[in-house]
Amino acid sequence: MLYFCTVTATLILVLVVVTALAFDFTNGFHDTGNAMATSIATGALRPKVAVLLSAVLNLVGAFLSVEVALTVTNAVIKVQDDSGAPVPELTSDHGYALLLIILCGLVGGIVWNLLTWLLGLPSSSSHALFGGLIGSTVAGLGWAGVKWTGSGDELGGVLGKVILPALASPVIAGLVAAVGTWLVYRVTSGVAERFAERGFRWGQVGSASLVSLAHGTNDAQKTMGVITLALIASGQWSDTESVPVWVKLSCALAMAAGTYIGGWRVIRTLGKGLVEIASPQGMAAESAAAAVILSSSHLGFALSTTHVATGSILGTGVGKRGAEVRWGVAGRMVVAWLITLPAAGVVGALTWYLGNALGGAAGPAVVFLVLLALATFMWLRSRRAPVHAGNVNDDWQGTPSTPASKEHAA
Amino acid sequence: MIALALSGIWKVLAAGLLFGAGLPTVFALGVRSLALAEGGEAEATPGTRPHPSARVLGIACLAVVLLAVALGIAFIVASGLGKELSFGHGYPTFADKE
Repeated sequence: MLYFCTVTATLILVLVVVTALAFDFTNGFHDTGNAMATSIATGALRPKVAVLLSAVLNLVGAFLSVEVALTVTNAVIKVQDDSGAPVPELTSDHGYALLLIILCGLVGGIVWNLLTWLLGLPSSSSHALFGGLIGSTVAGLGWAGVKWTGSGDELGGVLGKVILPALASPVIAGLVAAVGTWLVYRVTSGVAERFAERGFRWGQVGSASLVSLAHGTNDAQKTMGVITLALIASGQWSDTESVPVWVKLSCALAMAAGTYIGGWRVIRTLGKGLVEIASPQGMAAESAAAAVILSSSHLGFALSTTHVATGSILGTGVGKRGAEVRWGVAGRMVVAWLITLPAAGVVGALTWYLGNALGGAAGPAVVFLVLLALATFMWLRSRRAPVHAGNVNDDWQGTPSTPASKEHAA
Repeated sequence: MIALALSGIWKVLAAGLLFGAGLPTVFALGVRSLALAEGGEAEATPGTRPHPSARVLGIACLAVVLLAVALGIAFIVASGLGKELSFGHGYPTFADKE
């Protein structure tokens, strides 16, 4: 019996780590477009070069995040005490209860990330992760297990950390980008288009690189925090002040690999679908995104890179006179944003009920198999109308692009 | 909480406009000046006489942008290392968080 328990504990821990790294990977390729879509769309960088640059900067950024992100999950669910250590009630049986909640939360996040990728919709990876965790927590601990609002003297809980920033950040970024775009076009109105285009490409690549670097420091540490929490819960790690080196290394590599694979479907929507972008607009959009992300993280506000980047790109379409903004595409995106958290939550909750009903080693194993099956299904669906480096910039005729353009593959 | 959120929104908006819209405008001024310095093909009305002295302004603008980007990178590195940028000495240094 004791032997059986050790096997179960090891199995669920391994599954949590593998699933967390898989989430990190989807986080990477879902968000490549936030930084690089505009540079790819204007031709400032060739598609493969852009994703490589973004991957390297994400890797560097991930290694820069020395600060412990252990309390990331603590912002929305009550599974940890103030030091970041898991609450004692959940750590019996090598933390089985907590690990099952984390596993199902991650599954919810991944499934939603893959579905929105399939549909070419840029949705927030952090919302998907939080949504999944909230869903599995409600299923496992009840509604009281979730921090819906903060304490009142700080922005906390689901409302303060997730909902308010999601409402405000795209509007702020869009406004900044619109003002920037308008000013840039005013200032350069007498300059020949070719000369301006050449100059702004440099500015565009520079500002996009800043966004990539900031993304690496912000997002990779979320997964690092989740894996470390799982290790502490199962008794494999005890230091709440630092992250094991192998966790940092594997998270950084998983995110960089995901970024390099390039979520071409999302890149295409952001770069070609929303607005037809010229270099000056690309620079204005990425500068706005970088400024908003950096200033709000300095002020301690959590926000989603995806919301900021999308708002900026929309703003740059509004700010340029005569530019076409496809509001239909924007509307689809907003709908996706609104349902990201509940949808990921439903998947997280359903998989928790499944895993809990089976229990033991079978529960987490079956949950993992469900994830594999859903992921394979969505990947196969994506092959019907593939988007890749060769057709990512084709003229916009709706998502995803037609399979006929496959011959242009690079 | 709403008041707290609003004050945060104003701060982010102000910083965003200053850096996110201001710096691209300075960059655009740089491009504008360099086009003025070059003249001819670089201008929308071909045959415009070059004004080489504008090059100084153009390069100064681009230098301001580069400096701001360097500060931005220093900021990302500092927050990643758990420190913060301090301007206490008149120039930026890494300092422990308070």
